[in-house]
Amino acid sequence: MRKNLITIIIAAVLVVIFALLLFTFQVRQSEVAVLTTFGKPAANNIDQPNLYFKWPWPVQQVYRFDQRVQNFEDKFSENYTADHNTVLTGVYVGWRISDASRFFQVWHGGSVAAAQQQLETMLRSATLAVVANHNLADIVNPDPAQLKFEAVENEIKAKVQSELAANNYGMSIEFLGIKKLGLPESVTQTVFDRMKSERQKYISEAQFKGEAEATKIKSAAERQAADVITDAEAAATRIKGQGEAEAAKTLSVFQQNPELAIFLLQLEALKSSLNQKSTLIFDERTPPFSLFQNLPANTPTK
Amino acid sequence: MSDHDHHDHPHPPETQDAGSQALAEALRSSFVIVKFAMAALVLVILGAGFFTVGPQEKAVILRFGKPLGEGQKMLLGAGLHWSLPYPIDEVVRIPITEIQQVRSTVGWYATTPEMELASTEPPAGPSLNPQIDGYVITADRNIVHTRATVLYRIDDPRTAIFNFTSGTNHTFNLAGVSNAVQNAANNALILTAVRFNVDDILTRDVAGFQDAVKARVNDLAEREHLGVTVDQVQVQSVAPRQLKDVFAQVTIARQNYDKLINDAQSKTNQILNEAGALATSITNAAESARTRFVTGVESDAKAFTELLPKYERNPNLFAQMELTKAMSMILTNVGEKKFLPTHADGKPVELRLMLNNEPPQPKSAANP
Repeated sequence: MRKNLITIIIAAVLVVIFALLLFTFQVRQSEVAVLTTFGKPAANNIDQPNLYFKWPWPVQQVYRFDQRVQNFEDKFSENYTADHNTVLTGVYVGWRISDASRFFQVWHGGSVAAAQQQLETMLRSATLAVVANHNLADIVNPDPAQLKFEAVENEIKAKVQSELAANNYGMSIEFLGIKKLGLPESVTQTVFDRMKSERQKYISEAQFKGEAEATKIKSAAERQAADVITDAEAAATRIKGQGEAEAAKTLSVFQQNPELAIFLLQLEALKSSLNQKSTLIFDERTPPFSLFQNLPANTPTK
Repeated sequence: MSDHDHHDHPHPPETQDAGSQALAEALRSSFVIVKFAMAALVLVILGAGFFTVGPQEKAVILRFGKPLGEGQKMLLGAGLHWSLPYPIDEVVRIPITEIQQVRSTVGWYATTPEMELASTEPPAGPSLNPQIDGYVITADRNIVHTRATVLYRIDDPRTAIFNFTSGTNHTFNLAGVSNAVQNAANNALILTAVRFNVDDILTRDVAGFQDAVKARVNDLAEREHLGVTVDQVQVQSVAPRQLKDVFAQVTIARQNYDKLINDAQSKTNQILNEAGALATSITNAAESARTRFVTGVESDAKAFTELLPKYERNPNLFAQMELTKAMSMILTNVGEKKFLPTHADGKPVELRLMLNNEPPQPKSAANP
């Protein structure tokens, strides 16, 4: 009968669904699964996303882990440099589960919290050890050639990485960096005192240097100005000299009759020396008053 | 199913009593309701497969855990989409704005958003508690506060959600990448600060510091394969609150210094301009003196050339004439004229000049 057929189909579908739920499991992208058989984990990790078959509980069981990079930060804690300075550091790491089967076995059923606790301990000891090998100048330095900040980070990373591998924790570090760097609280106060005195030094320096510098600039300008004027005077002398040289060419004209030339010059001098302010004292021999003495003889010209 | 209905009809006449008939009636009607409910359920299940993706998000369908589609096609953009019901398909939504923003968590003193809004700051103690107050150490071992705001874009949301997690297992979001970018910013601030001197960070090379921080964030983003592009890094730095005043005084002192130098430089310009003007007037005067002199000599020469023939004709007469002409001009011009005839015996008259023009001193009683 049809009714029965439909009932059977529906039942079959339900059974299939139920069976699928019991006998299959999904691994999503970004996940990795470990399959245990009677509690014993399989060595291979199921890290490709898909639908997989398994025996139902209690035969086989699935444990899923995130295989993405997780962020972890340790506590801000004290380290001592080789030159006996105390610095506080905080480190961040990007770590991931590299071998889920190992991770599952080592960390009591895959407890991320337990794993991170161990990771923190390792970070702590690695940071202490690495910083102790460096001077403060390796971590804080204006000269890029001497600054070994990244080297310090890489050393810490390498140390933790190799320890993780040696212990076969099923974890790996993708990246590591220092995210916090500080000084003990008491030291900050002495730093502030030093900074303050440095600032005061800068203040007085700026004042004195400013005045000295300004005076220097002004005196340099005055010297330059004096030079300019000296140059101009030299140029003026040269120009006048050129004028005289030019005039000298014309002087040859006067060579034709030096007496006349001298006479004309004297005449000119006479005219210009006797001006309105002068007093002229003359006698009857001074022309034209010489007329009073004797009239010219009427001798014909040749 | 409609066949099923017809199939049901012939049954009722077989019932004997009214009670069982009523029961059959009730069963039939409830069966109809169940059928409707099942049909509705199927519709709901299929209809539930529809989902919309908003403009600020992307979606990925995981079929049996595996992303549907290859490469970038995996990402579903805004619009209506359809998926099979769970657990076959699972829709993962990724909230993704165009620009992501994250701010560094180290380097700034403890403050609250309310204080930030009101631009107030917590009271400054004599020291900084490393657990509460953030700061960075500069290359010259000073302490300053600095913070960075990183604006970045997710290049590939697939990397962001499938490679990074924020620790809350098995959820898909951008928190993991956001965390990583934030720590990159923290690291960049610290690492850049230890190579810069305090004055460069605060005043002299603010842009250089910011660029160096950005370069480091970029570098880390690339090295850690975060799959993001850093658009902008804004860095803000201040002196410790404890030393605010003294830092301000340095700024003022340096401004005064600049002012002194600027004043001196403008004074320099003034001095040089004046000297230049004076120099020009000196050379100009020389030029005109030269011209005057040369033309004077030339005109003299010209006059000489014109006079020469006249002179040569009768030198004595010429001289007398010129002298007389000159004398008449002089006599017209001269202020005072004194005629002093010679004595009859021909001896010259003696004339005494008082060279001292000062009035004679009256003789005092004390000095007879």
